[in-house]
Amino acid sequence: MTETNKKEVIICRCEDVSEVEIKQAIEEGFTTINAIKKRLRTGMGLCQGRTCQKLVARIIAQETGKSMEEILLPTTRPPVRPIIMGAFEGEDQ
Amino acid sequence: MNKVELAVIGAGPAGLAAAIEAAQLGVKVVVFDENAQPGGQLFKQIHKFFGSREHRAGTRGFRIGQELLAQTEELGVKVNLGSTVFGLDKRNLWVLKEGKTEVYQADAVIVAAGASENALAFPGSTLPGVMTAGAAQTFINLHRVLPGKKVLMVGSGNVGLIVSYQLMQAGAEVVGLVEAAPSIGGYGVHAAKIKRAGVPLFLGHTIAEAIGEHQVESAVLTKLNESFQPIPGSEITLEVDTICIAVGLTPMMELARMAGAELKYVPKLGGHVPVNNDNMETSITGMFVAGDVCGVEEASSAMEEGRLAGVTAAEYLKHIAGKAAADRKALIREQLSAIRNGTFGNKEHLKDKVKEENTLGLRFSGTPSKDELDSCPGVPSEGRLAKGPVAVIECVQEIPCNPCEQVCPKGAIKVGKPITSLPQLTENACNGCASCVTACPGLAIVTVDRTYDENKALVTFPYEYLPLPETGATVHAVNRQGERICYGQVVKVRNNKKADGTVAISLAVPEEYAMEVRSMAKGGTK
Repeated sequence: MTETNKKEVIICRCEDVSEVEIKQAIEEGFTTINAIKKRLRTGMGLCQGRTCQKLVARIIAQETGKSMEEILLPTTRPPVRPIIMGAFEGEDQ
Repeated sequence: MNKVELAVIGAGPAGLAAAIEAAQLGVKVVVFDENAQPGGQLFKQIHKFFGSREHRAGTRGFRIGQELLAQTEELGVKVNLGSTVFGLDKRNLWVLKEGKTEVYQADAVIVAAGASENALAFPGSTLPGVMTAGAAQTFINLHRVLPGKKVLMVGSGNVGLIVSYQLMQAGAEVVGLVEAAPSIGGYGVHAAKIKRAGVPLFLGHTIAEAIGEHQVESAVLTKLNESFQPIPGSEITLEVDTICIAVGLTPMMELARMAGAELKYVPKLGGHVPVNNDNMETSITGMFVAGDVCGVEEASSAMEEGRLAGVTAAEYLKHIAGKAAADRKALIREQLSAIRNGTFGNKEHLKDKVKEENTLGLRFSGTPSKDELDSCPGVPSEGRLAKGPVAVIECVQEIPCNPCEQVCPKGAIKVGKPITSLPQLTENACNGCASCVTACPGLAIVTVDRTYDENKALVTFPYEYLPLPETGATVHAVNRQGERICYGQVVKVRNNKKADGTVAISLAVPEEYAMEVRSMAKGGTK
């Protein structure tokens, strides 16, 4: 290991989650994108996983030996973009 | 609840093309896009597109965007901007516009949501100055702001190659281009452009770390072995203030998925994509897809897919039927498969034609090898070169493109069908007029006149950097590798309006360098 490899690598920038934390979670048995999301909040920030989701999937693949295809996608539900709560009040208000 | 006949999600090349096609058939179309400006990525594309002459090849991307917008206006297509579709359930759309939620019920939906750029994580990747290539392109081409002066590009796909070139056009220095694979991912002609500008290519390398206290100050590269593992001790440090990441795209299929469309994981297409057939129909009745959302490709194929989805949607909505619909779709499909032919076609139903037989040549160096040039049907013979001015078409990869064929007033260039065929030069018909020099979107054509002077040859090449040299100036002539090999005198600077910014510069160089000089150093006046 070089000096470089020991330095912290941030995977989820919105929620400030590092590669080491994700690897620890995988070791603890959280081996899907959804499980890691629930454990560490990866993908729950402003970008909604558009930055980190593939990176998390790759780490899972690497650590568990699963293929990328086998790694389940997280649940997709509205809203797909972060929106203010007030927007849901709609015309009824 | 608002009712619409056809809702198109995304106003990029695929969405606009779909909307135009459907509207032409009488469908009432409403387009939604979350951005303030329409066009998707088109308005950032200041380079000339490849493709066929019927489909605006040789036209700069942003002009295609302008044309598409004008057409939507003409056809009365409503384009809702700043309108985020945040939920999709079968054919009901939840749209956020100006802080308010609106619900639309559509009879048919075309999802053309595009793709998002992949991230890369490494120590220091959160430092200011690290950004995606697309972000850098937005900076320079939309906002006219230079994100940095010394840039490292990570990734050699077309995005990495094109944005590198555009950053140089905008005035930045590209210190290097890094690619983990042993060969260049994108079109060789794009790579050749940045190679001629002297950009070092670090193939088989990756970025190990970005260093800096408050922002990027340098980047550490490391060489990779055959199993893509870093080789200790191979580190190279480059002084840079910006690191651009161009490591592929991921289809934004969330809306289609949320609506229940069946997905399939296809790595070549960028990840999970909605399953679709050759009518662009998804597994959900009345829902269609087009463009990068169903597999990352180029804008030209996205537009064709959009048109196809537009016709299918119109057929579903009973505006066209039977043979008329079938004929229209067949024509578009033909166009699509023509674009996808050749070395780079990558949609699932296509074979991977990329063969890496050797480690020489354009794919491995950004410079065509002697073998590639010798066997290239666009390069004239020694005998013809000795007779006077003639085009030298250094086009050695099968890419879908043919503006050179169209522009030649002598009919001396033939591409024919398929459009991915290499251009063939009928050397005795060519008079070296240089029309093709500025028409080639790949900037792969020069003319050479070995009879110019007793000991001087005249090389005319395309040039797209500012400032332009003055006639009579002495400049550094460069070879295909971007090395300054001799001085040249600027004999002519032709800035033809039709060439839309691609300038033909004629340089008198020592005769022995006639087949070496291919450009001049940027701002390289002696």
